[in-house]
Amino acid sequence: MKILIVEDEAPLRASLLEYLRHDGYVCETAENYQQAHEKIKLYQYDCVLIDLTLPDGSGLDLVRTLKQENSVAGVVIISARGSLDDKVEGLELGADDYLQKPFHLAELNARLRSVLRRRQFQGQRHLAFRDLTVFPDQALVLVKDQPVTLTRKEYDLLLFLLANPNRLLTKESIAEHLWGDAADAADSFDFIYTHLKNLRKKLQELGADNYIRTMYGLGYKLETE
Amino acid sequence: MKLLTTTNRYYLALAAVLFLLGTGLLYVGIQRALAHEVDEQLQLYQSYLQRQLQHTHRLPAPVNPQELTVSSTPVATGLGDTVLLDPIEQTQVPFRQVTFRATVQGQPYWFTLRKSLIETEDVLEVVLAVMLAVMTLLFGSLVLLNRWLSRWLWAPFQYTLRALQGYQLQQPQPLLLPHTAIDEFSELNQAVTQLTQRLTADYQALKEFTENAAHETQTPLAIMQAKLEQLLQLPELPEAAASSVHALYRATIRLSRLHQALTLLSKIENRQFTGSRALQLQDLLREKLEQLQDFLEAKRIEPQLVLVAPVAVTMHPALADSLVGNLLQNAVKHNVPGGQLRIHLSPEALEVTNTGPILTTDPMLLLGRFRKHNAASDSPGLGLSIAQQICTYYGFQLSYSFSSVGSLHTLKVRF
Repeated sequence: MKILIVEDEAPLRASLLEYLRHDGYVCETAENYQQAHEKIKLYQYDCVLIDLTLPDGSGLDLVRTLKQENSVAGVVIISARGSLDDKVEGLELGADDYLQKPFHLAELNARLRSVLRRRQFQGQRHLAFRDLTVFPDQALVLVKDQPVTLTRKEYDLLLFLLANPNRLLTKESIAEHLWGDAADAADSFDFIYTHLKNLRKKLQELGADNYIRTMYGLGYKLETE
Repeated sequence: MKLLTTTNRYYLALAAVLFLLGTGLLYVGIQRALAHEVDEQLQLYQSYLQRQLQHTHRLPAPVNPQELTVSSTPVATGLGDTVLLDPIEQTQVPFRQVTFRATVQGQPYWFTLRKSLIETEDVLEVVLAVMLAVMTLLFGSLVLLNRWLSRWLWAPFQYTLRALQGYQLQQPQPLLLPHTAIDEFSELNQAVTQLTQRLTADYQALKEFTENAAHETQTPLAIMQAKLEQLLQLPELPEAAASSVHALYRATIRLSRLHQALTLLSKIENRQFTGSRALQLQDLLREKLEQLQDFLEAKRIEPQLVLVAPVAVTMHPALADSLVGNLLQNAVKHNVPGGQLRIHLSPEALEVTNTGPILTTDPMLLLGRFRKHNAASDSPGLGLSIAQQICTYYGFQLSYSFSSVGSLHTLKVRF
């Protein structure tokens, strides 16, 4: 998987690079419009992360260029401008997703995976993790080939964990991923625990034990072993 | 009152004063001119009579006694006024007379010549009639002229007025007004065009500033959040440090949320949300309740949704979402386990009632910025301010009331 990161802020670019490389992606970076433009003209990427406000141009023009070239690359826009117009315009131009800064790296990773999954050709459209197999198209989850019935939230939670294996998922990022703004209605993050406990129990019943580890008050982690 | 009506009133007042003055002057003037003429005629008649007497040495043949009386007893000579009875009309009629002494055949005689003056009332009547006719004519034509003026001459002004009434700050172009031949309107149009140009420029600058401010603040926050998230991923991070990093991470998220809320508030204040459309409020309520399902269940709250009639509001979708979302989230967040949540929607108002903590302060104060019931709460306390700002933007009224019976909090949006 080859990914181009277009971001002018060096520290953020470094964080994105490190996070995505850790996940096994082949990453390249561009720090301005000119560099990015050259790279998308020269090379093929599976996905391009584009910051909208670049010092020498607009990220929206990069999206336009990609679409004109009939590029197969997925496009995820990351922008600090909370303007609704930008979001609408970006998505209308053909971007696959739009993420507003600041974002959780885990959230970006989950969105990226979902974009890549949607862009991949027919074939093995499933996720495998230890004894777990998930067919996202049918929302089907198998543990050791046995189907598990999960609620909507439990399923979303599992997918979020699967997108970020062996990484700490903070309660804040889980709450935002699963509930968005509605999470403001809660006075604590206890509600996440309820859903996680049920998910754990359902997996455990079919023999997938100790998959999700609690990280001392910070969040949860999907253990690779 | 219309400008023309006002000017007409002043014209009328001035004309009335001038009319009175003119009538008086005209009356006095006519009287004087007539008196002068009569005196001249009497003197002419006198000299004629004197010459005739010298010539004939006889008394003239008797004529109308009102015009000439001859007396053999002395009478005061010279010009004078007198009043005689008109036997036909039975009224006192003013006369001008001249008396002189002449000797006829050695006998002295006093001759009095008289001439009737036109009656004062008659003169006054004529003068008044003429003046009134002139006045009426003047006013009639003035009204007609004004009507014509207001229709044709004031047309550019009416056009400018209508253009200003329809002017919206959000429109990107300044108001372009046609050229007119009248200097005043031309100046007005120029001033209006300049004003709207300035407004448009200011509005654009403000909009850009808000967006840039958001960008410039959110970028460092994004860096902080990403770096802290990466720090938390380090397996070798000691537990004590982890809790500090986590606290920092949470604070960063909180700051970012706060900033987003403030940006939203200033965007609403600057009227940067254009593109309203009709939205079915009951659908939005159901959708939002669905999103809050997990939190409702966690608190064992059974929401009661009462829909009197379907309600369509014309709003920007993002603002409608924010308004309904904030009201419902507020009602869930501050609710007690097993509490009540009642939503009542009618064409007049949307009411959200929930059980909550006992309130000792004025509930309306909680609509202010950074006001929150529980000061230790993590939320920035801007949810209800945003709701209120949205209500103000659309001309709705948001009110907050608290009833100690059952400790019920009610937020009401009156459309």
